[in-house]
Amino acid sequence: MSSSAPPAARPVFTGLGVLSAFGRGLAPLLAAAGQGRTGFTEVTRFDVARRGTRRAALLPDPPPLADAVLGAVTDAWQQAGLPDRPGDTPVLLALHSDLHTGAVADAVAGGVAALGLPGVARVYTGACVAAATAVADAAALVASGRHPRVLVAAGHLVEPGVFAAFDAGRALARDGELRPFSTGRSGTLLGDAAAAVVVEADTAAERRGALPLARLAGWGRAGDAYHVCRPRPDGDGVARATRSALARAGVDPSELGYLNANGTGSPMSDLAEARALREVFGDALAELPVSSSKSVHGHALEASALLELVVTIAALDSERLPVNAGWLGPDPEIGLNLVLAGPDRPRPRYALSLNSAFGGANTALLVAAA
Amino acid sequence: MNGLHTLATATWPHPEGPGEPPALPGFSASTFNPLVAAVAELCLTRHLGAEPREPDPAAGRTGLLLASAGGDRATALAIDTAAASGRRMPALLFFQSNPNAVLGHIAARWGLAGPVVAISPREAAAPGEIPSDALELAALMLADGDADQILIIAAEQADRSGGTDHGTAVLVTSA
Repeated sequence: MSSSAPPAARPVFTGLGVLSAFGRGLAPLLAAAGQGRTGFTEVTRFDVARRGTRRAALLPDPPPLADAVLGAVTDAWQQAGLPDRPGDTPVLLALHSDLHTGAVADAVAGGVAALGLPGVARVYTGACVAAATAVADAAALVASGRHPRVLVAAGHLVEPGVFAAFDAGRALARDGELRPFSTGRSGTLLGDAAAAVVVEADTAAERRGALPLARLAGWGRAGDAYHVCRPRPDGDGVARATRSALARAGVDPSELGYLNANGTGSPMSDLAEARALREVFGDALAELPVSSSKSVHGHALEASALLELVVTIAALDSERLPVNAGWLGPDPEIGLNLVLAGPDRPRPRYALSLNSAFGGANTALLVAAA
Repeated sequence: MNGLHTLATATWPHPEGPGEPPALPGFSASTFNPLVAAVAELCLTRHLGAEPREPDPAAGRTGLLLASAGGDRATALAIDTAAASGRRMPALLFFQSNPNAVLGHIAARWGLAGPVVAISPREAAAPGEIPSDALELAALMLADGDADQILIIAAEQADRSGGTDHGTAVLVTSA
């Protein structure tokens, strides 16, 4: 549900940066997503001999996490064409909460200071919606006129503790493939990622002659109020977050041209999400192309929402939508119009990226062609 | 405080209560989650009464915001230790491997269906205080329109330099 106050400005994206298992930059990631070519390999970074699942989407030689984040920040910054010392630009950072969070945030703060930024304004640790929450807050800061631009960054590199915890929790796909919404899906697979976006007021971008890449048309958040970690079976929290994003943008569900779903490959979570989509989109769901780009680049936890947002923004500028990889066949309870390898489609005017997390947290980010 | 109106507050440990928060079923290895749950419970009880009321008209648009500079260090250490040992990881550590999990417990118990957010402020709040970062964010979330009330919880575990676990919760709305 949106605020009744009219926005002071419309948020747009003027810069993107990304590092994924496919390497640095958007092009290799989009090529893989468009072909449904997955990045999963056997884990050799650490010992997985005792783990039930041994695959993830990994960079062969990853930099330290802070350097990975700073690389994405630098790319986003350069694409945005921002000058050194641009003034009023808070940095919002999403990281996993562990014994190293503070040290990584300090290292990122030191690195962004070299761009003339005042450091890291806030660190988000809210699991798989951490980065989407930061983007929603960036949108709120820009739309309300508090800041002309906000930089949002996130990073997650697969490491042995989290991998072992996910394995112990039976969250990882037992067959080593991430199969969102498919029959035979058995869980998720982790992935490396760092990403950054510059969220800027349309007026500020126009004043300095910057060309927006896309608009951040709507954003919404809602909770399940259901369980510590299980999703609410009817997907009500996902549905309310989605409706909030659509209402804020004034977009009818039938206008949506692509949906990048949370789609972790979890049997329960994918079903709850599909029910939420049926509730929101009704008959229009049959025509709505849906995929989960996690099926290609893996689940990057606190960085996942920003990685998937970058993929979703890029989908606005392409006839080739991200493929829902790992597909074995339909689950009769799901019933989505999944993007499988196939013909090109019209470019979407609007695209939505959904994320859900432990604690019943749900986010929806709606992007629009500039 | 930042255009916020306080509906209820609580701190843990609280003067009349036990020092240790009650054990929290489904959570292990760390005092962090019982601390967060206990101080949230105390704050919500002061506002709503001893038992969750059904339905509370405001609950559907009440968000949760957890702020902890140190985070759940005991769980993080237990995960790293178990992974390094080569032993099988206790499954409960997966469920509590991020700070959202305990917020899900609180949200489910009280029917709080607004946004669920966790942040790590750069500086830990002093006992009895909420970090300014969390207050600013709560004000932003309320102004942005997806919540009418926010339960803010600040929680810090004792660290190697000493001190004690402490938590503070405030239920706020727009002033």
